[in-house]
Amino acid sequence: MVFDTLVAEFPFLLRGLWIGIQLLAALLALGFVLGITLAVMSVYGHWSLRLFAVVFERIFRGIPEIVLLLLFFYGIGELLPLSPFVAAVLALGLRSTAYQAQIFRGSIQSVAGGEVMAARALGMSRLGAIWHIVLPQALRRSIGPWTNEYSAELKATSLAYVIGVVELTRQASYIVSNLQGNTLTVFAVVAAMYFVVNRLGNAGLYALERRLTIPGFEGRGAES
Amino acid sequence: MSDNPILSVRDVRKTYGGVEVLKGVSFDLERGQSKIVIGPSGTGKSTLLRCINLLSPPDSGNVVLDGVTVEERGINQIRAQIGFVFQEFNLFTHLRVLDNVRLAQRNVLGRSKQEATRRAMEELERVGLSDKLEAYPAELSGGQKQRASIARALAMDPKLILFDEPTSALDPELTGEVVQVMKDLANAGMTMLVVSHEMGFARAAADEVIFMEGGVIVEQGPPSTLFTCPEHARTSQFLRMISHEHQEA
Repeated sequence: MVFDTLVAEFPFLLRGLWIGIQLLAALLALGFVLGITLAVMSVYGHWSLRLFAVVFERIFRGIPEIVLLLLFFYGIGELLPLSPFVAAVLALGLRSTAYQAQIFRGSIQSVAGGEVMAARALGMSRLGAIWHIVLPQALRRSIGPWTNEYSAELKATSLAYVIGVVELTRQASYIVSNLQGNTLTVFAVVAAMYFVVNRLGNAGLYALERRLTIPGFEGRGAES
Repeated sequence: MSDNPILSVRDVRKTYGGVEVLKGVSFDLERGQSKIVIGPSGTGKSTLLRCINLLSPPDSGNVVLDGVTVEERGINQIRAQIGFVFQEFNLFTHLRVLDNVRLAQRNVLGRSKQEATRRAMEELERVGLSDKLEAYPAELSGGQKQRASIARALAMDPKLILFDEPTSALDPELTGEVVQVMKDLANAGMTMLVVSHEMGFARAAADEVIFMEGGVIVEQGPPSTLFTCPEHARTSQFLRMISHEHQEA
């Protein structure tokens, strides 16, 4: 009987999952663009930009996700009304920015300085060298550590239910209250859904990493 | 000295961490001339090259390229006219050989893709790498990497090329192919300033040898005179030392 209900309710879970994936994509994209910017600033920028990058990272890595969600939705929402979804994208996306900036900064610093010097010696601008030489190499090296960030943020989307984003976890708790119990079954299904999306995303990222490995270099694929 | 050298270096000084590495270096380079700079390590030879295109700006003195003073303003356009070949090659790891040679042509000189490809293929053929267009740097031998980096410099149609110990990072059996390319270039009339201890290149292709020690030019002259009867005792001492090294190698 519980399975009949589950089948009937499954579309709601899928809808919740879809909202969760949209939230994930939006917050990762925000974190990607701002994270690269912050990383470039913290490696190549004027000291004031480097200071800004450090302070930003410290703040957003030092506050729990739930507190950030509440802060953005109820706190900032008082001055500037935000939908729960937008508040969640900002709160989790800015936090992801701080973590992604760490990843990109490390990989930017691992690119051989001699190549930048060669680009400058050819007459390329600093920004041109960063864009054409540093970032293409740094981004390749970021994919591995970035899979961690993908997994962490996918799981963090479930927290958005506290500010009323109707994502997968929220849908599940609706169903549980409708069914009067069967908590274990419903959350087991939800857990499996998160697990599958996590595995699929990671598999995709590893495939991307293999595809972008530079021939002649030891990559993840070269070990086998 | 003519009235119109392609490169004129005047009283260049440079201090690193309290140590004066260059203590006032002056010389001229004529169009089509190739000069080789020799001297003990730590003498400021590589620093001198980096001062010329401001990769490491001099503290004082000046550098004039073809009548234009080299300064920070507009430096990218000036650097595009000065080729630079590094000891460590510094090819762009993530780009195929062809793209290594095309990138700055397009990005700095604004050449079309066709034009950049044409020039890249010409120069890669000149250095004997026509069959490696699609290879990545990590797939090349050291000698091939250095030849690719020479092609990358040549494709910019520079007024002169600076070589910073181009064979020092190579296994002995690979230096020959790079030296041969450099000899061919010198004979074809390319203006070159080479920091190297390759006596083969110095004897066969250098118009003049500059001996540097302790941040100054001790003496300079055509290889025939400088190698056979140097004026300074330090020069002959140094020449004896490196010729011993070469015999042992």
